[in-house]
Amino acid sequence: MRYHIQNKIYHVELLPPKQESEKLEKDLELFTKKYKRVLENGYCACITDNAMGNLSFQGTEMIDVLGLPVEPEQVMIHLNTFHTKENLDEILNSCIDMGIKYLLVVSGDGSERLPKLKPSDIGITGSESVTSVELLKYINREYPDKFVLGVAFNPYEPEDHEFEKMERKMAAGAEFVVTQPLIEKNPAVDRLLEKYPDVPVIVEAWMSKKLHLLSDAVGYTIPEDEAYDPIETLKMLHKMYPGCGVYLSLLSFKNHFDLLKETWI
Amino acid sequence: MLTLTDADRKQYENIWVVAEVSSGRIQPVTHELIGKARELADASKSQVWTVVMGSGISQMAESLFAYGSDCVIAVDDARLNGIQDEIEANVLVRLIRKYKPEVVLCAATTKGRALIPRVAVKADCGLTADCTGLSIDPENGDLLQTRPAFGGNIMATIRSPKHRPQMATVRPRVMKAPEPDKSRTGKIIKESILDTDADKMKKIIEIFQSKEAAFNLSDARIIISGGRGVKGPEGFELLKRFASKVGGAVGASRAAVDAGWIGYNHQIGQTGQTVQTTLYIACGISGQIQHLVGMQSSDVIVAIDINPDTPMMQMADIAIVGDLFEVIPEILNEIPKL
Amino acid sequence: MKIVVCVKQVPASNDAKIDPVTKRIVREGIKSIMNPFDLYALEEGIRLKEKFGGQVIALSMGPPKAEAVLREALSAGADHAILLSDRAFGGSDTWATSYALAKAIERIGHVDLVICGKQAIDGDTAQVGPGIAAHLDWMQAAGVMEVQVKDSSIIVKRMHEEGHDICQLQLPAVITVVKDINTPRVPTLRGRLAALKYELPVWKPADIGADPEKLGLNGSPTRVVKTQPPDPRQADTIRIEGTPKECARALVHELRLRSLI
Repeated sequence: MRYHIQNKIYHVELLPPKQESEKLEKDLELFTKKYKRVLENGYCACITDNAMGNLSFQGTEMIDVLGLPVEPEQVMIHLNTFHTKENLDEILNSCIDMGIKYLLVVSGDGSERLPKLKPSDIGITGSESVTSVELLKYINREYPDKFVLGVAFNPYEPEDHEFEKMERKMAAGAEFVVTQPLIEKNPAVDRLLEKYPDVPVIVEAWMSKKLHLLSDAVGYTIPEDEAYDPIETLKMLHKMYPGCGVYLSLLSFKNHFDLLKETWI
Repeated sequence: MLTLTDADRKQYENIWVVAEVSSGRIQPVTHELIGKARELADASKSQVWTVVMGSGISQMAESLFAYGSDCVIAVDDARLNGIQDEIEANVLVRLIRKYKPEVVLCAATTKGRALIPRVAVKADCGLTADCTGLSIDPENGDLLQTRPAFGGNIMATIRSPKHRPQMATVRPRVMKAPEPDKSRTGKIIKESILDTDADKMKKIIEIFQSKEAAFNLSDARIIISGGRGVKGPEGFELLKRFASKVGGAVGASRAAVDAGWIGYNHQIGQTGQTVQTTLYIACGISGQIQHLVGMQSSDVIVAIDINPDTPMMQMADIAIVGDLFEVIPEILNEIPKL
Repeated sequence: MKIVVCVKQVPASNDAKIDPVTKRIVREGIKSIMNPFDLYALEEGIRLKEKFGGQVIALSMGPPKAEAVLREALSAGADHAILLSDRAFGGSDTWATSYALAKAIERIGHVDLVICGKQAIDGDTAQVGPGIAAHLDWMQAAGVMEVQVKDSSIIVKRMHEEGHDICQLQLPAVITVVKDINTPRVPTLRGRLAALKYELPVWKPADIGADPEKLGLNGSPTRVVKTQPPDPRQADTIRIEGTPKECARALVHELRLRSLI
């Protein structure tokens, strides 16, 4: 991850089509285009795992079925706790086969359709439920040295609770951190940087004008700002957090992608 | 399909209740249904009949008069063990053809919900599930059956104008059981199973009775739910004690499940289960929208929280400002006095 | 084994309001999904097929757009899918719905087992499964949480309020399943792409030899005569403060007033 920060490599989030899509073939085409554009421009494509609990296709099957190229430094996939054990191992093994090493391990959002991993599935005792911590431990135990594992940090949650969780995530083998989207300087993130100076932190930038979606994503109300300008916010984040990488969510490929070249200087 | 003329319909009279028999007992929901049937019968100047099917139920039949039944049809047979929907349906259809009831009410229990649709199809009549309101239309004698639709967002009133009997199921505890009047009497009609009723029979391999109700949040009438304020797995032990005392189930917010304090199958909310209970007691749950959407259509919501200003405390019917670790033990002390 | 799984397309959410002027039910912009319980029925059908061989046929009745749930069933592993769709089926209550589905099952022929979800989340009646069994005069088991096949019979475990039972039914039979029975698989992208190409047969009343008098509104004994909003939620919060003991007393008192405990 240090490599990404030093070389100013953006992490660009890509959402695979939803299972329920009524125009799947078109969605696949669009995904292919975006994915290739991210890689061609030297950025890192980050593929979500059933984001917001919406049943979607997996990053690994997208790459496989669509025959997409994989550059180990340029692909990261999200992996959450809503899988069957079988499915989880299938994804991890596909990653190894394809040369994907960066995983962002999160608890994730479930839905009725998404089976939650049970502690017994992954040989955990002493916890009633599998969170990102248990998943990290499992991956490190069963797939040692195969992956570089990242975790999420939510500065909108009560701080002590979140730092206590971060402590456990680090103990479980987390090697980098991606924050929830920031739209301004955030004291919790400052504390994070201070507390873990050796851990690469990637701050997330909200690249959509729709701030209410951000509220939905983080679970807390963020005041609506008519004048919200994603590119300006991004520039500001670079200034405020010069030692951090940046993860771009909901990036507009039409309006903003080409502007990225001049943003991180 | 076969529809009835006005004259045909006039041949149908009386309000029937199909008794819920399980574990060798007539279940209380039967009394609740008889109470309602009594009201309907009084409104339409007819009688209440109860059909009791089971093994060794003859002695129990008389107990139903006290709740308002005028007549009990008792079908006592060892094959009627609550498992043979096929036989019970055939018997009921035959009795319906013979006695022509105007209305048939049945409990919306696991058993009733399997049996009654089979009867309604075979008897060519309409059936409305899970009614919360039943009344007789004075103009034409139709049964007006009100039930929640779209998850309770809308109440629909349904009738079967051209078919008899009119059949409806009602969930336990929706109607109130009347005070029994021991002085009431009535007649008992004994019926038996014919060979043709029992042409199909399941082979029973095991019947397992358990005091511990199956864990099913959506069927629970009372849910005691905990969030971040419960502070850990030990806190959930307290909620479990609370739940078992009131015969409820334990739910949880996402924060509590994510923290690993309780399993995901307890999670209520957008990314967990949606419930609609009679009583929802939220303990230390702040009430993020994603949780609220999973429980807000519960009938009565109680919130217990030390912080009086959370969204949950605002939306609750009853909000208790206090430390749940102090208040809940006191509640447990209060309850046995009932 | 020839297995028919009945699936229904339902609105994804129960958001519904009554327009104060037109008195009609307003349900705008709500997505359609496969009835969640049916996913478990489908999964069980596919698992039985994987174990014992045979085929799974997904069957649905609904408007033309209901083909989406059948394609979903194909993506997950159903071998065939059939849609019953015609204006004549419109307005069916559970009697007429189970009649049409039963006629289609007869037409499919040589079916050993019909699997339905316990209930559909839009109507919540749980009547169609047993209704199909009644029309076919087959054996039935509702609320099944485990199923095994033994020769020409099945052994099912059912959960109920007082425990559970295990019993054996001769095939052909109809079962309805609860969510405990399995964990439905999520269709793969490959499966989904293959399902897009499936030529889906649409059957009309004549195709299933149905009596028009028993279809749709004609065949439905029940009529919805009125819809209204439920009694509004009481907005006033009763606030209880004091010592823990006082709070507990006050709460128990309030709950007793409402006959809740």
